[in-house]
This record gives sequence, structure tokens and C-alpha cells, in this order.
Amino acid sequence: MISPTRKLCSVALAGAFALGLAACGSSGNGSVSGASGIAVAPGVQTPRTQAQSGGKRGGTLTVLNHTDFEQLDPGLSYYNIDYEVVDTTQRALFSYKPNSFSEPVPDMASEPAKISGDGRTITIHIRKGVHFSPPVNREVTSADVAYAIERGANPNVGNPYFEAYFKSLVGFKQATGGPFPGITTPNPSTIVFHLAEAKAPIVLAALVLPLSAPVPEEYAKRYDAMKPTQYGNYQVATGPYMLQNDSAGKVLGIGYVPGKSATLVRNPNWSAATDFRPAYLNRIDIKLGGDTTVIGRQVLEGSDMVQNETPAQPIVRLAYEKFRPQLELSPGAGDHYIAVNNKQGPFANVDVRKALWAALDRTAMNKARGGELVTNVMTHFIYPEIPGFEEAGGLKGPQVDYNDYPDGNAAVAAKYMKLAGYPSGKYTGGKTLEIVGGNESPDNEDAEIVNQTLKNLGFQTKLTLVEVSVMYEKYCGTPAEEIDVCPNVGWVADFGDPQAVLDVAFNGKNIVSTGNNNWGQVNNPEINKAMEAAELLVGTQARANAWAQVDRKLVAQAAAIPFDWDKQPNIESKDVAGVGDLWNTGQWDYSFTSLK
Amino acid sequence: MTLYIIRRVLWGILLLILVTALIFLLFRILPTGDPARLRAGHNASPKVIADLRVDLGLNKSLPEQFWIYMKNVFLHFNLGYSYYSSAPVRGLIAERFGATLSLMLGGTVIWLAVGLPVGILSALRRGSRLDRLSMGAALVFVSAPEYWLGLIALYLFAADIGRVKIFPGAGSYVSLTSDPWKWCTSLLLPWLVLAAGSAAIYARLMRGSLSETMQEDYIRTARAKGLSERRVVLHHGVRAAINPILTILALDIATLLGGAILVEVVFNIQGIGDLAYTAIRHSDLLVVQGTVLLGALFIVVANIVVDVAYAYLDPRVRFS
Repeated sequence: MISPTRKLCSVALAGAFALGLAACGSSGNGSVSGASGIAVAPGVQTPRTQAQSGGKRGGTLTVLNHTDFEQLDPGLSYYNIDYEVVDTTQRALFSYKPNSFSEPVPDMASEPAKISGDGRTITIHIRKGVHFSPPVNREVTSADVAYAIERGANPNVGNPYFEAYFKSLVGFKQATGGPFPGITTPNPSTIVFHLAEAKAPIVLAALVLPLSAPVPEEYAKRYDAMKPTQYGNYQVATGPYMLQNDSAGKVLGIGYVPGKSATLVRNPNWSAATDFRPAYLNRIDIKLGGDTTVIGRQVLEGSDMVQNETPAQPIVRLAYEKFRPQLELSPGAGDHYIAVNNKQGPFANVDVRKALWAALDRTAMNKARGGELVTNVMTHFIYPEIPGFEEAGGLKGPQVDYNDYPDGNAAVAAKYMKLAGYPSGKYTGGKTLEIVGGNESPDNEDAEIVNQTLKNLGFQTKLTLVEVSVMYEKYCGTPAEEIDVCPNVGWVADFGDPQAVLDVAFNGKNIVSTGNNNWGQVNNPEINKAMEAAELLVGTQARANAWAQVDRKLVAQAAAIPFDWDKQPNIESKDVAGVGDLWNTGQWDYSFTSLK
Repeated sequence: MTLYIIRRVLWGILLLILVTALIFLLFRILPTGDPARLRAGHNASPKVIADLRVDLGLNKSLPEQFWIYMKNVFLHFNLGYSYYSSAPVRGLIAERFGATLSLMLGGTVIWLAVGLPVGILSALRRGSRLDRLSMGAALVFVSAPEYWLGLIALYLFAADIGRVKIFPGAGSYVSLTSDPWKWCTSLLLPWLVLAAGSAAIYARLMRGSLSETMQEDYIRTARAKGLSERRVVLHHGVRAAINPILTILALDIATLLGGAILVEVVFNIQGIGDLAYTAIRHSDLLVVQGTVLLGALFIVVANIVVDVAYAYLDPRVRFS
């Protein structure tokens, strides 16, 4: 089973969030961003407050990023940092505007999709007048969209979410990169998805992902035949910008030099009349590498620059204190929680889980991540900006006693330990808990807080801190390792639908032997059933309500111990009118950003 | 002499094979080192990983895999493919070697140009104010971590974020072929930082070595013959004292060619060191493997060069 959601890239985010509380403003005095009710400090931008029109045309934006891209092939890219390029070079069937994470608009599609009455057919018309960049140059047809999605099943491509979202397509199991019955193109401007189950909502929601951006088969096929595919190094664009290439279409070493640079230039075949993106800039020079404290200062003190990744923690502090108008905070940038083993060991008992929830000082956990400036205390599982957040309890969360004390409450914890069968209010079972956490700040600090909390509850513990990818792959994502507590797992949804937050992380059917993302092995039949029902619903509000109910059940079962909703910091130079994408953790959107 | 050189080269090749084998084994037993997992990307299913294991030949026995790996490395100079960068490792290394070479050359020239004269003067004026001052400064620079020194240098002297704007800042490096003047100016600060620690070490080494040499009988004889002090020092003293320093220099150069990680990272010069650092952070093990192998190659070659040079200078070595 492939996960339909992204694990929070803790390495990137974690370091930046470890900002002292001294730098934080009071959330009570802050400005409110959007429907989530999440407050940011006064004077700080959010994607909700930035102007999306009226920018100055022209100029070159310089981007300083410490981190290299992972995959720029639209069939492979999966991380926020990749999306900053892919979103500006490729046009998926549907896209979010910068200030939205819940209402996608037609992009490569010409109008909203039509779902059949039985929920098994999705019909989408393709926008006319969109052309591929050189050297392909021709107009995009529905066959190009079909091929783009089909290649997700090509083992040489290996798209990370194809199985998760498109497995309900008819003939999915036979798909290997070529045509299969689940996708048909009755004419050059129409694509139809045929589903074996009535799961149109989730398939439709996934069409905001870059896999649905058209790929010309006659051009890409030779590259897709290579192991691994080389299409990313020869890609063509449909968006306003393209990676600079040569006459043969080669990007590698020209528009993208691994670890060194990426250069985005205007796509000469892009027509503004077909797109909602203003595309003010002439060129975007992305420089990779360097020390994060140096490049952060270069951006804050320089001109025409942005850093499009999480800045170093001293830089966020500096920006907040001295360059506040150049700081953006984006709510809805994911979450962090403690995964506890629901299947076996002490945490198979719901009251022990509630005891840990009650005892945990979530404020201290978040202080390690930067405090109120960049976090909110997490009180349930659907996070801000995702539909269902308010319905599930909003910022305050469900009013249950173990959720009522962000600083922790020993008396409530003792109450639940007694209910769990430990009359003294302390664990006396003799089991030593296996805890595996990340070894970099703030993950290691949070892990220590969790370790101490468990000791206070009477547990003996064995704490192991490892590199965060090892934590996920070798330990927390491998049920056979029988880890009791993973104190700092995180989550970023692929798109603004509550199913993308809850399903893989908490649905028992998604427990797999390796690469498991249901880290706590939560497998509650009642919750599984509620998810199955919610998955089939059509309509944003109906889905929000149903998944909020799932969320409340998860809280009632204390399926995991939540502690942090993230607000992502981003920085820009004083003469940049940056526009961040709410749907992409606030990262700067090159198609909307301009120079002052 | 020819036989001696052949023998040393053969030993060098054997050593390189052993190092390659060690690297191969090491990267096969690391927990995150499975190339199939790296290739499969995020959230790959066990089936996809299993298919990739076959595709990549990882289902073959370890000796068979090792043989294929050795053939690729030594016959085709094929170091594999970076799944993180989506590019061949050989290309990534070639792309960055110029920057590392530039850094090494300039840094070496500066640290020799500063370190050796300071060492010579200190040796000739032991206990003087100049000696105490230069050796004190040397101690400071030897103790200063390169990364810290680089950051301080940038915050003080970089044109963009520095307090006194003199040198181009981090990320300003351009290749020699694209703009020689910019190449030179962009590397001035990195060269100085790279050279600071080494110049200090070489100054102390030169001072010690020359002080000892200047006590030798043949120096007294040279003076007694009436040679000028300049000729005594440069032709008899320094010439003898510099031998151990040349040995260290060869190894230092070889190490630097394998990547000056800290200076490259802090000044954002995309050389071999920066490549290795990034690869380590992302578990891009084939790149790590390639850069480690490159470093090992330079060390082995440098050792051979030193051995041959010693044999040339001292006939006893080649007959022993």
C-alpha cells in the first residue's frame, strides 16, 4: 500500500521551528489568517493577506535554497520544494490558487469535472489553446493527460501516490505505463475516468497533483523506457515558465544542475489567456546549497531574493525582530504527533493512551519547535486550513479532560492510569518501552520530553535517537520492529481533503509490513467503517462533516497523542512582493510573486 | 628505479581495490543503503522494491554484485546513478571537480606563500618578538574551526552581509572559463579561510624542521666555508628542512582534492566536498561512495608520488 500523504519532512522543518518563545507574539493580539482562525503575529504576512494581482512585470528573482530538489519530473515529484518548480512549469487538471487549500479551480481542465450519478465515472474537458514548450510545441490534447497519469504505473517512473489514489480505476492492476480501461479519451478535448468503485471524490481530489499534468507520449516515451526514466531531464512545460533547455529539450546541466542551480525562463508557448497565473517575473534563478544562516541573511539584507524553504531558526528570529514585513507565516503547514502502538503493549489500552495525552506538556513540546510564533497546540487530527478542521473542534478541539490541559495535568493522567488497571496511578506492568525518535533538534528535545513524561507515569523506557529517515523507514514504519512510541512523526496532506490527513495514518487497512505510515497500527473497526463511509461522500461540506466525525472518534480513542500544528515561516527581500501558496506550506509561488 | 616505481604502483592498485571492496561492503550493510529503496522513492510498495532489486541486480550473490561493481568502476569508470539528483555520479563529480581544484590550488599557493616564509623567519629568529607573534597567531588559526572562521569572515568582509564590504559573498563562485576575474575575486575569501589553518601548521612545521636543520654540522661547515647567510639558509638549510613538509603537502593536496567540505559548504562553492555533504544528508549513497572512492584514489596516488620522490632523493629507500 502506498501512502497518499506525505510524511512531514522533519529534517527541513524541524530545525527552523526551534525558535525561542521570547521571539513570539501573543496569538491573542495577532492577525487572523483565513477560516481556520489560526493567528499569526502582528505585522507578519500570510498567504491570505498577500495581493495576487497588480504586481510589476519583469525582472529576475533570485532564489537561495540550501536544499536541492528531489524530483522535477511531474510524474515523480512529491515534496514541497519540488512543487515550487513543478507548479510553475506544469499545469495539472486542477490547481489551487495561492490563498486556498480547499477549493481547486480548473487549470488544464476547462471547467469543473462531471461525476456520474453512480460515482463511477468522471468526465473532464481539456482546455484548448495550451501548448507544450519547445521542442514539442504542439497543442495539448486529452491523450497527453491520459499518458501522464498512465506513466505513473510505469515501474521506470514509480510515482509515489499512483496506487493510493488511482487504484479504483478499472484495470488498475494491469496498468504498467500504457493505456488501460480506466482512462479513455473519446476525443482530443475529453478525458474520462472509469472507476470500479464509487470513489470519484478522492480520484478527483488527487487530480490537483502534478501526475495529471500533460506529458507528450511521442516525445517522452523514449525517456520513460530508460531505467529510471529520464523524462525529468528532458521535460517540457505547459505552465508560464520552463526549465531552460537546449534545442533537443535537454534540461540536465542547463536548466537544472543537480546540487547547484535551476533556471526558470518564460515558456514561449504559454498564453496568458489560458491561465489564471499572472506570471510577472521574466526569470527565476535558483541557487542551491550553502549555509542556511548565511543565505537567510543574504535574503533579508539583499534585494530581489527569496529563500524558498524553511529558514534556519536564528534567521526566523532575526526576521521576526528586525525584518518583520519580510517574514511570512503560513498556517496549515502540517502537524506533529506521538504515535503509540495501539496493537500491543501498554498502549493497546485506550486509558493508558489517554493518560499519556493528559500528562504530556504540549506547550513545552511546541516551545522546542519555536513556540507560538510557528506552532499551535494540536488538539485533534485534521489540521488548520483543511476542510473539517472547525467541525472537528477547531483550535480548542474536543472538550475531553485529557485534552483540556496543554501544559499537562498529572491528576487527570493518574485518573486514566487507574482506569487502565494501575491503582497507584503509575504503570506497574514491568514492560520497558521502546521509544525511537529523531536525533536532530527539535525532534530529539521533544523525544526527551516524551521520555520523561513516560517515566513520570511509571514506565521504564529505552530511548533511541536516529536520523529521521531511519526512524521512519527502519523503525516506526516497520511494524515487526514492535516500537512502542514514536515521539515525533509528522504529516502534510497531499491536497486539501480530510481523507488525505486521516486515512493512511489511521485506517487499519493501510497497515503494511514496510513503509507503513499508520505508525501506531491503529485498527479500530468502528473507525475503519466510518472512514469507508466518509470516503464515498461527494461535496466539500459533507466530507468535512463526515471526516470530522472520524476525527472525533480518533480523539475519543486517543489513537495518537497530538501536540503541534505547524505554521511555516518563509522569508523574502524587502523589494520582493512575494505570494506564498497556502496549499504548499506557504512557499513562494513564482507565478504570482513579483519585484517591487 | 623503474622496478621500484612499478612495485609501488602495483601496491597502490591493490590498495585501491581493497578500499573499493571495503566501501562496497560498508554501503551494503548500512540501514539506509538499499539502492532499491532509494530508487523506489517515497512510499514504494514492497512489490515495487522487490522488482527493482531484480532490475538493479541486487538479487545476485554479494561476490557477483561486487564483481559487477568492480568492472563498472575500473573498466568503465561508471560510479552508478544518483537517484536523488537523477544524474550519473560520474557526471556529478566531473561537474564539480573544477571548483574543488580551483579552491585547492589557490589555497595551497597562499598557505605555502605565507606559511613557509613565516616559518623560516621564526626559525632564524627564535625567541624574537616576531617569532612569538607569528607562532601565537599560528596557534590561533590552527585552533579556529574552518567553518566558524568562514562564517566570521563572511559576516565581517562579504560584500552582501559583511560589516566591511570587501570580498564577494557566499555563492558568488564562477568558473575560471566563464569569467577569470570573477573566478579570482570570488575565491579570495575562501582561499584565505582555507589557507589560514594550513599556513599556521606549515609555519610551525617549517620553524621546527629548519631550527633542527640549522644545528647540523654541515650548516656550520657551510658557514665556515664563507658562504653568505642567505645561501646557507636557502640552499642548505631550507632544502633539507623542507623534505618532511613536502610529504605532508602531497597528502594535504590529495585530501583537499577529495573535497574541502567545510569551506565549500560555508561559501556555497559546489565542489566535491559540498557534493559529498549533500549526499550524506540525503542518504544518496552511490554519490557518497563515488566521492569516498575519489578521495581514496587521490590519497593512494599522492602516496605513490611521495614514495617515488623519496626514492629519487634518497637511494637507500629504493634498495631497502
